[in-house]
Amino acid sequence: MNLRLLLILPLLLASCSSLPEIRPSAVVAGKVIACPSPFVARKTLFIHAVEAAAAGETRAVMIGVTVADPASRTLSCALMSPEGMVLFEASRNPSGTQISRALPPFDEEEFARGLLDDIELIFFEPPEPVDRAGFSDTGRFVCRRRLQGGGWLDVGKDGDGRVQIRRYSKGGTLRRSVALAAGANPYAAIELQASEWIGYSLSMTLVEPEAVLDEALSGK
Amino acid sequence: MRGQAGRRLLILLFLLLTAFPDAAGADDFDRLRRDASGISSLSADFVQKKSMKILSAPLVSKGKFYYAAPDSIRWEYVKPIRSIVISNQGSTKRYIASGGKMIEDKTGGALAMKIVLDEVAGWMKGKFTANPSFAARVQEGPETQIVLTPTGKNTAGLIEKIEITVSRKDAVVKTVRIVEGAAAETRIDFLHTVVNQTLPPGTFQDIP
Repeated sequence: MNLRLLLILPLLLASCSSLPEIRPSAVVAGKVIACPSPFVARKTLFIHAVEAAAAGETRAVMIGVTVADPASRTLSCALMSPEGMVLFEASRNPSGTQISRALPPFDEEEFARGLLDDIELIFFEPPEPVDRAGFSDTGRFVCRRRLQGGGWLDVGKDGDGRVQIRRYSKGGTLRRSVALAAGANPYAAIELQASEWIGYSLSMTLVEPEAVLDEALSGK
Repeated sequence: MRGQAGRRLLILLFLLLTAFPDAAGADDFDRLRRDASGISSLSADFVQKKSMKILSAPLVSKGKFYYAAPDSIRWEYVKPIRSIVISNQGSTKRYIASGGKMIEDKTGGALAMKIVLDEVAGWMKGKFTANPSFAARVQEGPETQIVLTPTGKNTAGLIEKIEITVSRKDAVVKTVRIVEGAAAETRIDFLHTVVNQTLPPGTFQDIP
């Protein structure tokens, strides 16, 4: 009996998770609502304090450096200990990923892929067009994209101005949930929740003013 | 698996950060050790500048450093992230800021930092000896500079050289510069150094 329950439990759980409904509408009181787009528009450098937690317990606090260039869809990132030791450094562009340093326990290929996927989700506007826009059951205005690699991506804005990014599997299971800060700088505070077999969360707080990098000046 | 990874990290840290050389000028190193023997306690502010290709300008960290002979150290960063490492009577604990309070790091980072701090305690005592992974030479000028260069392939490529500047007057370490390559280095400047003064009570005690 227990074994049977164990076998059907994943099916039950899967059937419970489905893509949230949105009521198509992009017009409120005669005004067309624009899709929220908090994403980086120019090549920008961010330095965050990154707090990683799993099972509700803080596992690590690090300094995270990110350079996001939306024009070339190039990401560079580094993770440092609070003392400044570089634990991980990598970059990704459309032609591939390059890992220049990965000390244990950050030396698993899966870690690099997951981290860069998360950073891309946070900072880059998806290339796919908006499939539909409307309101969720909670009243949040949401723009939904069908992702080329399978699955769905919702970008919505709460009444308090916080932008929420949610990535779902093809079957509608929530995989990532990102909440950005309300106000002028959405990247001042970022909360990411990963729903995997081993779930984790990242809490990122900007510790240095973000810097727009001028290609001509920097020579990079 | 996790233990193995931890051991690899410790070995790498040991090679990266704690290696010290056979004496290239035994008299010079003996003199440094003699001069430093008068240091019973020390406190200093420090400014750390991390330069990397990814950064458009060096990342500046600041904090406080405390030492009491023979081997008690408190290494406290206040910016950009608050963290405290305390090494005292053979035990090392690392605390990091989380949710507005300091929590003890249980991930193994403290063990790694113990290796580093044990060696830093050695610097404070003028002990620049005993690790064959680096060759050392002393350059005399307005200050004494010890230059360490990797001797083996384990550290070559990870560290190009380490420069430690020591005061000629009292053998106090003034600057540490770790050159990782053409585009990456860490420089730590110790400022407002006070030697042989009573340290604040509880400096090396655990953070509740």
